[in-house]
Amino acid sequence: MAQRVVTARLLHRFNFGPIPGQYVELLNRGIGATQATVLTHGVADAGLNSVVAPVLADLGPFPTPGTPASTAFTNAIVKGNFDLITWWLDRMAVADYPLTERMTWFWHGHFATSITGITYPLPMQKQNNTMRTHALGNFSDLAKAMIVDGALNIWLNNDENYIQSPNENLAREFMELFTLGVNKFTQDDVTAAARALTGYSTVGSNGDVTFDPSQHYSKPITILGKTASFNGESLATYIVSRPENAKFIADRLWFRFVSGSTTPQASLAGSFTRREIFSLVNAIVHSGAWTNPANALVKSPVEWFIGACRALRVRPSGLNQDNVQWELPQMGQVPFNPPNVGGWPYGQAWLSGASFQYRYDLAALVVANGDLAPLSVRKSQMVQACADWLGVPKWSGRTASTLEAATGSPSELATLALVSPEYAVSA
Amino acid sequence: MMTCEFDRRRFLQWTGAGIFGTLSAQLSLESLASAASTSPLPANTPILVLITLYGGNDGLNTVVPFTDPTYQSVRSNIALSSSQVLPFNDSLGFNAVMPSINALYGQSKVAIVQGVSYPNPSLSHFSSMAIWQTASLTSTVSSGWIGRWLDIQPHNAFNAIGIGATLPPVFVGEKSVASMVDVSGIQLPFGAAAPLVPRLGSSSPVDVPLEADAATAINDMYSTASVLTPLLPKLLSGPAISQQLSLISTLINANVPTRVWEVNLSTFDTHASEQGDQNALLGQVDAAVGAFMTSISGGSRARDVTVMIYSEFGRRVMSNASDGTDHGTAGPVLLIGNSVKGGLYGELPPLNSLDVNGNLKVTTDFRSVYGGLLQDVLSTQVSDVIPGWTSALSVH
Repeated sequence: MAQRVVTARLLHRFNFGPIPGQYVELLNRGIGATQATVLTHGVADAGLNSVVAPVLADLGPFPTPGTPASTAFTNAIVKGNFDLITWWLDRMAVADYPLTERMTWFWHGHFATSITGITYPLPMQKQNNTMRTHALGNFSDLAKAMIVDGALNIWLNNDENYIQSPNENLAREFMELFTLGVNKFTQDDVTAAARALTGYSTVGSNGDVTFDPSQHYSKPITILGKTASFNGESLATYIVSRPENAKFIADRLWFRFVSGSTTPQASLAGSFTRREIFSLVNAIVHSGAWTNPANALVKSPVEWFIGACRALRVRPSGLNQDNVQWELPQMGQVPFNPPNVGGWPYGQAWLSGASFQYRYDLAALVVANGDLAPLSVRKSQMVQACADWLGVPKWSGRTASTLEAATGSPSELATLALVSPEYAVSA
Repeated sequence: MMTCEFDRRRFLQWTGAGIFGTLSAQLSLESLASAASTSPLPANTPILVLITLYGGNDGLNTVVPFTDPTYQSVRSNIALSSSQVLPFNDSLGFNAVMPSINALYGQSKVAIVQGVSYPNPSLSHFSSMAIWQTASLTSTVSSGWIGRWLDIQPHNAFNAIGIGATLPPVFVGEKSVASMVDVSGIQLPFGAAAPLVPRLGSSSPVDVPLEADAATAINDMYSTASVLTPLLPKLLSGPAISQQLSLISTLINANVPTRVWEVNLSTFDTHASEQGDQNALLGQVDAAVGAFMTSISGGSRARDVTVMIYSEFGRRVMSNASDGTDHGTAGPVLLIGNSVKGGLYGELPPLNSLDVNGNLKVTTDFRSVYGGLLQDVLSTQVSDVIPGWTSALSVH
């Protein structure tokens, strides 16, 4: 039983859940093979190669309202956003080795930038690709790239941060939410960091960031005890080098991958001394956390949906988008649109009666378009086959008896299984 | 069974068609309410409605010290002039986008608690909102204050209801969580598998706590839907906050047995272009609250309802060059109701004597505001919900 729990946890949390047959195969091969499988990345990926990225044009400045150009412009914005969402959902669902997409998804929630503040899809796509490039690389490189990322600079008002009149938004959130954590710096540090971030301006329509030294505060400033002249990159490098950063990032990964309620193992920060993200992820995957029953986690709506798509071999773009792009927002989670810079809610927040109705609708939609072959077994074996297929360690008596009552219809059984507490939660 | 008016999928395809309004106009709210609600809220039971403004609302441009020379000079690019204010005395007035709340204030139905925050205010959105929602200054407490109030009530899916899909932290207790409903109601599962879904909502001894929560959510969806769904006949329109408060007033007037409601509105984080953005948001809140109070005042629960409007912090006294403001500290809390004793409470922090970061000094602890509400509205001893706290600022 312990092996079923650990294998299921690793697959659901690091790989968006198993594809058909994968759970049983990895149960046979052992936990070591499961760890190696979920950590695989950077290799040829036929699944990912089958997804075509949308080519987004630089749409330029806003046209005059009311003109034909204005209508075309608005349509292009809406279509670009739509294409971006389906593109990323497809990547998550069809990746043969999903860890990079899973980590990109983590960083999207970490450097949470919403298209509602950016309007243009192109800067969002660039930011997404930046996070993907560094998803499992060096955090210092990721932080340096993000501090001069166009979408993030617009989102946190850094293009309106001037020497004479600072705007502290990026400076504060960079330290509080992205690198150090709350109470690890003072207001004086925020004021100084805001000065280091002057001189940058961003082209809204394409996210290109330029640096104008004449608008930059180049005199020495004191940040976290160090006095020097800083720009964005050197600020990011310095802050990330602070010892607090290792614990902070380790804690954030623990929070999203292991548990929102248990204390992270103190040793994890030690695997992040060189700020190598893969080293930290690897340490978490190989940690002793996975046998602790307290480390249950609620799947976020996108994680839950992608898990269903992977199990049923469904490409999200092939589903009726009127449903997908209606129900995900109703459940509170749409890629490229986190609620605020703090990122997504977690835990119980996702488990409301109001969101269950959409969970059920989406489950029925995926099932109606999905491959139910894994349930082509004798009725007496169907409920267990369903657990083996979806990567559920064990059904409760409640859910087992409910599913037993549905063995006459594999599609009904699959729909019920996907909305069951055992599948909503990675227990 | 699913009925046509709640089929959102079809609704999307038919946007603009009047079919739903026509159909639902045939329903009588009152008859449905009494038929549907088997346990109506007893008469004269007080009700609390929380309106959470996420992002840090600029209190100085909400209740405006428009004659203060410091106010006009240190934020000259966003300061409201006397013509952009609805003065209620010779130094203070509401932002002119708030005519409804101003009118209610004139009827002594609005208590303005000034300078509200807590000792050593955090300038972090997330820490500060956590402090406000948990009513605890330490990060070790994760339960919300209303959640802890729920913990000491007999379990009932109706005790507290939020509008939306995701639970706010204020509604999560140690043992209990509030229910959530959607503005368009609850569409119960339909199709072949639907009859079996309620069985997934029963508890199981092997559930881990989060699985038990998932099961409870299914169960609560059915129990709330059976009462609420028939009460939602209108195709609501207008901004989300208007739809949400309109829904709540409908349900309150129908005597749904709910003591606490919550709605929220985001994007008050006005680091740039503040005047236009904040005015639009405050205008939405004002219109929604005005319509809500009109509806409540015309119903049987006119004196039962208290609305609290709050945010995690106010903003910096001095503006920035982006015509916005950075994170600040104290701000006003508005308490509105026909049984509220209107007027000014607490002290307005002086604009010419700020803390080291250039922020307002705190004059009222928000826990005292909660204390008054717990005592006067939720009929609960303050320290039962906020351990160690006894102070209560009563506005009733």
